[in-house]
Amino acid sequence: MQFLRTLLVFLLLLSVPLPALAYDILVLQSLREKGYDEAVKGVKRECSATMRTVVLSEYAETDITRMIREEHPRLVIAVGDRALEVAEKQRNTPVLYMMALHAKPHQSGAVTGVGMLFDPARYLAVFDSMGSKRVGVVCDPSKSGAYLKRAQAAARRSGIELVVREVHSPKETPSMLDSLRGKVDALWMLPDVTAVSSETTEAYFLFSQGERVPLVSFAEFYLKLGGAVALGIDRFDIGRQLGSMAQSVLQGTPVENLAPQPPRRVILKVNEGVLRRLNISIAGGG
Amino acid sequence: MKSLLNPRLIKNFRFRLYLLFTATIALLTAAFASFYVVTEVNGFRSTLEREGRLLATVLAQNARLPLFAENSEALALLAAGTARYPSVLYVSISNAEGRLLTQVKNPKDTGRGAIDMRVEVTSPGQVGSPEAVLLGHAPVDEKRVIGWVDLRLDSSEAQERLKKLVAATLAIGTLFWIAVSLLSYQILKRVTSSFNLLMHGIEEIGSGNLSARVNLDSDDELGRGANAINAMAASLELRELENLSLQEELLKAMKLEVQEEKKRVMARLIHTNKMTSLGLLLSSMAHEINNPNASIRFSGHIIAKIWADVVPLLDGVWREEGEFYLGGIPFQKARGALAENAAKIVENSERIARVVQGLRDYGVGDGAGLRPDLEVNAAVGAALSVLACQMQQDIWLKTALGNDIPVITGNQHQIEQVLINLILNAMQSFPDGRGEVRLTTRHDRVASEVVIEVEDDGVGIGAETMERLFEPFFSTKLDRGGSGLGLYISQYIVAEHGGRLQLSSTPGKGTLARVILPVGGGAH
Repeated sequence: MQFLRTLLVFLLLLSVPLPALAYDILVLQSLREKGYDEAVKGVKRECSATMRTVVLSEYAETDITRMIREEHPRLVIAVGDRALEVAEKQRNTPVLYMMALHAKPHQSGAVTGVGMLFDPARYLAVFDSMGSKRVGVVCDPSKSGAYLKRAQAAARRSGIELVVREVHSPKETPSMLDSLRGKVDALWMLPDVTAVSSETTEAYFLFSQGERVPLVSFAEFYLKLGGAVALGIDRFDIGRQLGSMAQSVLQGTPVENLAPQPPRRVILKVNEGVLRRLNISIAGGG
Repeated sequence: MKSLLNPRLIKNFRFRLYLLFTATIALLTAAFASFYVVTEVNGFRSTLEREGRLLATVLAQNARLPLFAENSEALALLAAGTARYPSVLYVSISNAEGRLLTQVKNPKDTGRGAIDMRVEVTSPGQVGSPEAVLLGHAPVDEKRVIGWVDLRLDSSEAQERLKKLVAATLAIGTLFWIAVSLLSYQILKRVTSSFNLLMHGIEEIGSGNLSARVNLDSDDELGRGANAINAMAASLELRELENLSLQEELLKAMKLEVQEEKKRVMARLIHTNKMTSLGLLLSSMAHEINNPNASIRFSGHIIAKIWADVVPLLDGVWREEGEFYLGGIPFQKARGALAENAAKIVENSERIARVVQGLRDYGVGDGAGLRPDLEVNAAVGAALSVLACQMQQDIWLKTALGNDIPVITGNQHQIEQVLINLILNAMQSFPDGRGEVRLTTRHDRVASEVVIEVEDDGVGIGAETMERLFEPFFSTKLDRGGSGLGLYISQYIVAEHGGRLQLSSTPGKGTLARVILPVGGGAH
């Protein structure tokens, strides 16, 4: 009888959530995903503050809001677009984001982080090194408009002409690409979900193949499909970059003073076969 | 067909085996040919389908982007490119909602015997969104159907191919069957030759030729069987020879016995016939003798009676007038002599009657035996004298007896009997009792034979009767006292004399009976 009573008390204790320990950073992760995990590791490498990691896909949204309110972390790191969306719903705790493709500049200024897109100058440097002067770009202005403006400004400085085709639906991409035939000597694939969808991705490579122009993309994955050059991100380094920002925030730097940053490290990959067929050489390739 | 159904052929072991063999080969060939045709046709159809599916898949791959962009012009170009393939009858591309975006129809599409296929147009798998790629998500092979490619293939070529294939297979199968059948015939011929030899030998032996042997020189089962059959045939042959020998002896014994018996029977028959003839003769004689004899006896009685009445008167005369003569004899002598003579007349007449009756009762014996000096004409005369009393007024008997007829060896009574039989038959052949009988004798010097012919112009003898004339107890006159033995005995007697009895007749015109007797003496 005594044993049964002890077992019952033990089971009751197990069923009651244990009170969270005090910590500095709440890491909100959209999914349990390898890319996110790599970035979080980078954060932890750079920032020694105490952290609690919550994977959103494992909790209801209301629970997260209450958790932030009750546990008062000093900083929230949002990993992924959904985590950023959840984190932005509260105003009291500063938010740093990473791995969020759709992150936008916030009026409040309490939200900053490391974006997914490189500085356009990096791409333009590659085009320049390949000797491309007319670069075709297909994008959705509602999604990539701001980045495109920066790119156009940088291009002008580099003496490169960006031939832009705007699309508002993935269905328009093939025809827009067709309209670029004979007008460009390189193609720039932006990570624009309208312009680049799973259905239209191959249109870029068919264009590249048909027009014999190199395709510069944003991920090494596309080299296998026929891309010539890829400027890939280093997720661990992005984590470390954000970890530095978090460290400075915890040390008292106001978040508002920290502007959103592009990834600082570029991993340049080339498809030697494609470049060879196109008779293109690139300085520092591989 | 009739020859095929020849029972002898059907019962032939080699033929049956050959039939079985060829039928089995035909069945197997047909089965293999059918299997081959079905497999080939299925293979061709499968190839056609595979080709069509490949075409449709290539089209679906190429049409992916235009379909996604709903670029009908590009789709029409692609569809037209695919429709140029000769086996393609119809191509259409529609989106996921089923809306037709383009279609190309081949004019030769009749819709019959065509193969329809549908291939889905999917978004490329393994290609994620830019976000997923940036985040390093593992590529997911998730294909989404964005449209359909419909293709109709012309399978008429398959029909043509099927026809050619069936024709070729039939021809090859038939040739194969013929070749294998011929080969199997040769093999069977070789294999069953020993068997046929054995069967031939067995049949030869079975047909009674026990001296036949199976000429099979082998040491297999058939060879051993042939040896056993040969031994059996040899044993049977030996038994057969023994049986033949015994049978021959038996036949000889039986023949002798039969001949003896025949002679005895014939002797009895002759005797019977003789008695019959004698009975006929004696009845005739009795009639002819008894009538005058009775008259004589009656006259004797009357004379005696009258004399008894006359004697007292004559005694009175004698007493009154004295002695007188009757017939030159004194009355007193004549009185006694007349009475005595009258009694003698009666007595002798009665004696004659007794003798006649005695002859009728007992008949006569066969007289003498064979005589070397038998005169045929004398026998003819004797026969005619016997028949004289039977001669009727309306029957003319014409005789033409040869003068130079030599004597023969024979029994006169028997020859007489033969002649009596033949003449009686001739006399009885006239339906109205009126006719002519010609009796001739002559000598055939060339053949050294004596020929006696009895010819009549009576009713003749029918063909059916002619066949049975010499059968014993066969007579057309049984109701008139015929015994059916006359001709039978006559033939026997003539044969016993080494001669022949020939009868020829034309119904309605008469009959010729010819007795031919050898001069040299052929009597047995």
